[in-house]
Amino acid sequence: MPDIAYPLAARTLANGLRVFVSEDHTVPTVTVNIWVKVGSRDEVAGRTGLAHLFEHLMFQGSRNVPSGEHFSALLAAGGRLNATTWFDRTNYFETVPKGALELALWLEADRHGRLLDAVTQENLDNQRDVVKEEKRQRYDNAPYGNAMRDVYATVFPPGHPYQHPTIGSMADLEAATLADVHAFFAEHYGPNNSVLTIVGDVTEAEAFGLVEKHFGPLRPTATPRLEGTMPVLRPLTEPVRFEHRGPVPNDRLYLAFRLPPDGTEDFLAAGLAMDILGGLSSSRMVERLVRTETIATALSAHPMGLAGGVSLGIVSADVLEGIDPTVVERAICEELERFAAAGPTDEELEAAVAETERSWLSALAGHDERADQISHYAALYDDPGYVNSFLDRVRAVTAAEIRAAATAYLLPQHRAVVAYLVESEPGQTAATPTIAAEDGVQG
Amino acid sequence: MTPEAMDNPEALPRPDVRPAEPFAVPLPVRHRLDNGLTVLRYDMPGQYIHSVRLAIPIALHQEPPAKEGVATIMARTLDEGTARHTALEFARLLERRGVALGAGVGESGLSIDIDVAKRHLDYALDLLRQALVEPAFPSDQVERHVSTRLAEIEQERSIAGHRAAAEFWSTYFDPASRASRPVGGRAETIAAVTREDVLAFHARHVAPDAATLVIAGDFTGIDVTASITRALGGWTAQPSYQAPPARPMPDVAADRARIVVVDRPESVQTEVLVGAPGPDRQVEGGWAPYPLLGFVLGGGPTARLDALLREDKGYTYGIRASFRPRRREGVFLTSGSVRADATVDAVRLLLGVLDDARDGFTDEEVAHGVRYLTLTAPGRYATADAVADEAAALAYDGLTTGFTGQTLRDLTGMDADRVGAAYRRFVDGRWTVVLVGDAAGFIDGVRDLGRGDVTAVPA
Repeated sequence: MPDIAYPLAARTLANGLRVFVSEDHTVPTVTVNIWVKVGSRDEVAGRTGLAHLFEHLMFQGSRNVPSGEHFSALLAAGGRLNATTWFDRTNYFETVPKGALELALWLEADRHGRLLDAVTQENLDNQRDVVKEEKRQRYDNAPYGNAMRDVYATVFPPGHPYQHPTIGSMADLEAATLADVHAFFAEHYGPNNSVLTIVGDVTEAEAFGLVEKHFGPLRPTATPRLEGTMPVLRPLTEPVRFEHRGPVPNDRLYLAFRLPPDGTEDFLAAGLAMDILGGLSSSRMVERLVRTETIATALSAHPMGLAGGVSLGIVSADVLEGIDPTVVERAICEELERFAAAGPTDEELEAAVAETERSWLSALAGHDERADQISHYAALYDDPGYVNSFLDRVRAVTAAEIRAAATAYLLPQHRAVVAYLVESEPGQTAATPTIAAEDGVQG
Repeated sequence: MTPEAMDNPEALPRPDVRPAEPFAVPLPVRHRLDNGLTVLRYDMPGQYIHSVRLAIPIALHQEPPAKEGVATIMARTLDEGTARHTALEFARLLERRGVALGAGVGESGLSIDIDVAKRHLDYALDLLRQALVEPAFPSDQVERHVSTRLAEIEQERSIAGHRAAAEFWSTYFDPASRASRPVGGRAETIAAVTREDVLAFHARHVAPDAATLVIAGDFTGIDVTASITRALGGWTAQPSYQAPPARPMPDVAADRARIVVVDRPESVQTEVLVGAPGPDRQVEGGWAPYPLLGFVLGGGPTARLDALLREDKGYTYGIRASFRPRRREGVFLTSGSVRADATVDAVRLLLGVLDDARDGFTDEEVAHGVRYLTLTAPGRYATADAVADEAAALAYDGLTTGFTGQTLRDLTGMDADRVGAAYRRFVDGRWTVVLVGDAAGFIDGVRDLGRGDVTAVPA
């Protein structure tokens, strides 16, 4: 294996901004990637969706940048840019020709330091409308669009920061005010709550110099979020379930599990267990349910790494028409039991590691995703070198550790089931969720 | 807010952008194996994952009419068992070395994609050979994929964007033409597909003669040509092989300029899909204006459509427009979802933007688009998979990334007159419009727009 070793230089500015630079001169472009340590987990009751709505406003102008110009200036310079919001963070990124690096940093510094001068009621109202259409398009008007919302609500206890989805609720989006936006910026945005990574055709000295020049003068205005402070959420001890009947094309089951937090060896072991169970085409659940018994038309499994004391693992299965979904669920549970009892075979482990290697190296092949991973592990786990150490860590996981993780996190009693079922009669709608009491938070 | 937030010192003056270095799109080293297979090699140092793309032209009208979708089932079962391995064994062989193999069928033909770590290239190419040359198409696997495709048809029907696309093609193309029907077949034709159909289709259409294999990655220290020759040099056409025919001109429906409403009661949005004929890559006057037109009209929040419908009106999360080349001619498609109760106004405004564009474009818009398309090229063609995908898409037309480079050079001399003329060459104000949503809420209003006959169909 030609083990990857991307160069990585680090510096922290006096105002707290952590900066990482990874030179790569194969292509004359540079990626700027900023992670702000604020996501939907930081939202307060009644203001779900605010982190994401706020992210939209970051494109509507800042003190020295008229509305819309952040996009148009970077596009005209040959930039490709976007931003996303997730449970743990909000990221902002652009890949530009190297001659536009300083412009990109200037634009970022202006909105990360001087946004509020440009935020208006009109911009807020317009982007609120846009976000509501985003919610309708991606969630409300799609057949299984709200299934993950229901998974979060079922697998996490009430009031838990991960229990509501990043898109938020229509009522909360409607309720967001300019004062909320100002308070959100003041609390979370500032160099001392952010990480900035530069990857590409630039020298370390030039990159650090430009960041210092444009971000150095910003004051450490944020209340920095400390990582590792959310309490560990233990696995469920009894299955919980939520059934939704509606106009879906086929019955689909989601089995969700609380996994260990990302950045830990236990998470890597649990992730490999998910791959072996259902993440690969040769996985045992796929082999049994899809290929042999043909009771499901598709099955997949994947881990979703999170930073706040718990991660998520999801097995989903499309039930073949005419098959009772409980038959599918029972088969999945049997495979969970069997795996926890015996662990993976050498061949299964080999395949899971090989697939992880390929997908990781594919992901890192471009400047943009490499920068995002450096920011990711620097911001949430103080481990920017994860891009270089990840594969060694994965290869070091043993079959015994995977079995132990499966026993601890992936037994049938640990499951939260969300079932989206074809409605038998028009008009029949959702049942009520039942959530187990957990960790002192009453359902 | 904290006082400090207001206290951030004034920004430095806005920096200038230094001119970009000249960029050349990667070009292939090309050769042909004795069996006719064209090989395009892209050596990209630092790209440790190799991307292999095999493009085999097939005309879908060569499918037996009662078995439409057989090409898709064939593609999906190539790796579901071979002469020497069961489906499960083959899946394990792929995954134990992290070989990602996918195959599918589109308007241009069959495509097979492989991504693999450099050190496992030979291993992956041998598996590719087995899937191509020795597929067993076991009956149980064919039946399973038929049943999966049937479930997929139901899923596509339930997704507004897919439902809109299916209705669009059946409205836009003449009902007699293959292109008016789904690439992957309909329930009644898929249900009729057997192992024998798949075997026969494979024998007739999968051969090296007209195929192109693209490989991109870091070739340092390895002999890629030898690897490919070793793996695929012995691949030959079967006796029943039929070379792909020249493409007929597309059979656009005489009454394509009309509005079809797919009724989905209680939809909170309306999916809008608007189309008209467009060019193929060989269009007289060059292809270069068309990606630019897509960008200026529907390429993001600053484009004309989103500037009005998203940033001004807040009706949508985003509207995209693009010219899509097909083997002969192409289509100009504009699509997006709009708030249900704004459907009539959104359709009116959207068609207005598209129609008004016949009046031309500003120098600034054209310059902006040219800068975007030319300056983003280095980043868009930076990875092995991106280059291989582009090369494979062009291979069906007998082109290479030389065409991509030529298009970029042509863009640098683009002016507003040429862009406007290119648009008017195809866009004449006659649109095929498909709306998927709650018809009761907007159908009368849409009819009142006077943009053509309005027909409602069930979801």
